[in-house]
Amino acid sequence: MRPLITLVCAALVTVSMAVPSAAPGAEDPSQPADVLVSRQLAAQANLRVGDIIMLSEDQNGSRPRRFRVAGVYEPTPDPMRFAAKRLEVRLHLPDLISLTADPSDPASTESVSALNLALLDADDASAVSSTIAARMPGLVVRPATRSTDEGEVFSVIDRFHRAIAIVTLLGSTAFLLALMVIRAEERRDIIGILRLVGISARSVFTEVLFEGLFIAIAGALLGVGIALLGEGLVNRFFQWRYDTNLIFVRVTSRIVFESVALAIPLGIAAGLAASWPLFRRDVVSLIRR
Amino acid sequence: MTSRALAWRTVTARPARAALAITGVAVIGALLFDMLLLSRGLLVSLRDLLDAVGYDVRVVATDTLPDIGIPIAAASKLVAEISKLPEVEEVAVVRRSRVTVSVPGRAPVRAALVGVSGTADRRAWRIARGRNLSAFDGAASGPPPVVVSGDLAEALGLAPGSTVQLRGRVAGAASALPPVGFEVIGIAEFDVEAGDGFVAATTSDGFLRVQAQGESDDAEVVLVLSRDPFGAEAAAAAIKRLRPDLRAYSNEQLVDQFNRDGFAYFRQISFVLSAITLGFAFLLVATLLSVSVNQRLHEVAALRALGLTRRRIAAALVWESIWLVASGGLLSLVLGGVLALELDRILRAMPGLPERLHFFVFEPRALVLHVALLAVTALGAAVYPVWVATRLPIAATLRRETIS
Repeated sequence: MRPLITLVCAALVTVSMAVPSAAPGAEDPSQPADVLVSRQLAAQANLRVGDIIMLSEDQNGSRPRRFRVAGVYEPTPDPMRFAAKRLEVRLHLPDLISLTADPSDPASTESVSALNLALLDADDASAVSSTIAARMPGLVVRPATRSTDEGEVFSVIDRFHRAIAIVTLLGSTAFLLALMVIRAEERRDIIGILRLVGISARSVFTEVLFEGLFIAIAGALLGVGIALLGEGLVNRFFQWRYDTNLIFVRVTSRIVFESVALAIPLGIAAGLAASWPLFRRDVVSLIRR
Repeated sequence: MTSRALAWRTVTARPARAALAITGVAVIGALLFDMLLLSRGLLVSLRDLLDAVGYDVRVVATDTLPDIGIPIAAASKLVAEISKLPEVEEVAVVRRSRVTVSVPGRAPVRAALVGVSGTADRRAWRIARGRNLSAFDGAASGPPPVVVSGDLAEALGLAPGSTVQLRGRVAGAASALPPVGFEVIGIAEFDVEAGDGFVAATTSDGFLRVQAQGESDDAEVVLVLSRDPFGAEAAAAAIKRLRPDLRAYSNEQLVDQFNRDGFAYFRQISFVLSAITLGFAFLLVATLLSVSVNQRLHEVAALRALGLTRRRIAAALVWESIWLVASGGLLSLVLGGVLALELDRILRAMPGLPERLHFFVFEPRALVLHVALLAVTALGAAVYPVWVATRLPIAATLRRETIS
């Protein structure tokens, strides 16, 4: 027995410019109209191109209509609802209207959830939106290319991530300083001996500076490597977890630059701060005599 | 001397190192604590908000967001039908819109206008000053009543008895709707507020006058209070049977749905960051202890030569780890509390959030989990140093120390 698929949300249906008489389903009433199903729905319901399915407006399966699966499509990833299961079917608008129209309400064939407009000049989107909204109070009109709320949401998420990054930076600075202090204590005798054999404090300081620089560069590069590895792992895991092509983590060149630009001075500064007390002591105390 | 006292002396012998280690654990622990608060904070806050309104079932037309969703047509008829259900105790209609509020001598501000029916005002907000809508006894021909939020009253200098002008707003365009005069009868604390920040509430009649929709009977949402002993689930099911074209959700179902869909991002980031911070704390303490033990191998060998058992040496190292992690962990609670306030403030800047919705909410469960995770970290971090210290060859180590 064929599975009965229920339309989940009418708002997912694309708007077709075809007039009812030109719709595929209307050309030959004996042939089922074509629909597209999302990859996720095709996988869940085990659908293939050419299969005949039944669609109904409600979960009870009342007034079902036959359709033919003409293709399987990959839904455009949406970061605002990446966790939602994309069980979707796309119909031609006349087919959807005939499927959902209330026979007792003639006006129901004139109702749609949304209209998509293609403008001659995309730069006119704001002006057209304002004009339509002014003429039709109560209608929500907004440019498709710019959603202020969504932009604001991701701007807030960005600030949130930056705040967490600052906290992580503080924690890792403390970690780094603690390690450098231990390392400086280990080198106390060596620095004392170097000073005793005649190497100037300035030369030893320069050596410590360059050592810190090399360690910081190596650490920063290792960090970038771990981030790149993490990028692949996180993306693969969450793409598998939510069955989506959405990119969750992207290590951009700007992020790499910011990280390296922060890590290197921080590493050098931590090394110098930890070693600084050793350069202020006299040689005798360094070798514990 | 006990192992605990020995560990304490070892930690305090190098105060700079100990202070840095504790600081590192405190900062990382604070982040861990916050991620634990975040892992369920929004759900707990949302459930509190929904419950605080006093209705346990919500009926909407579609699954889409309120601002772009299709309104429920013929709401009065729907309310009458739902009221007859045996599972239902009380029904209220809620309408929302955007308005501009103005008073003479001050710049107008934008606000969300909520229109409620009947006695829903008793549940939807708390009156801080003045009267509620259901207690309004003004003349029907006079200005309709309005209750405003505290911040709106402060911004426009409003008090019970003030009059304000409300004008309906049209998205993206100048509004041609006429302004309507209202009498402020109360200042209220709203539980569920729209994202405009400022909120005003009025009766259904006042709401329709602002929208110039005298005949409109649409509603954005219908709130239902279920009757005992049926409960919210049964009431929602009954409404779905009555009107299969509408969506009816109990508060529990809404929270579950939100947990599955809308909350996924915060749940995942909380999990990922908790794992990273735990790993970081483990690495920090384990590295410091390992390096510290390697520096003190001769001390450990000498203590063993004096007769201290492996067990006491191991206990001293475990205590050293516990001192560092416990001190940092205690500090992390304070730091985490402060950090949570700041992170919550950042996230609450998202548009459209109710005023009292929070992302970081304290639960005893989070504290218990935090302590347990840090305890496991402290014990885990001590494993390798303990292994090194207890398997130390005493004579060879002392000899090596003497020669070097």
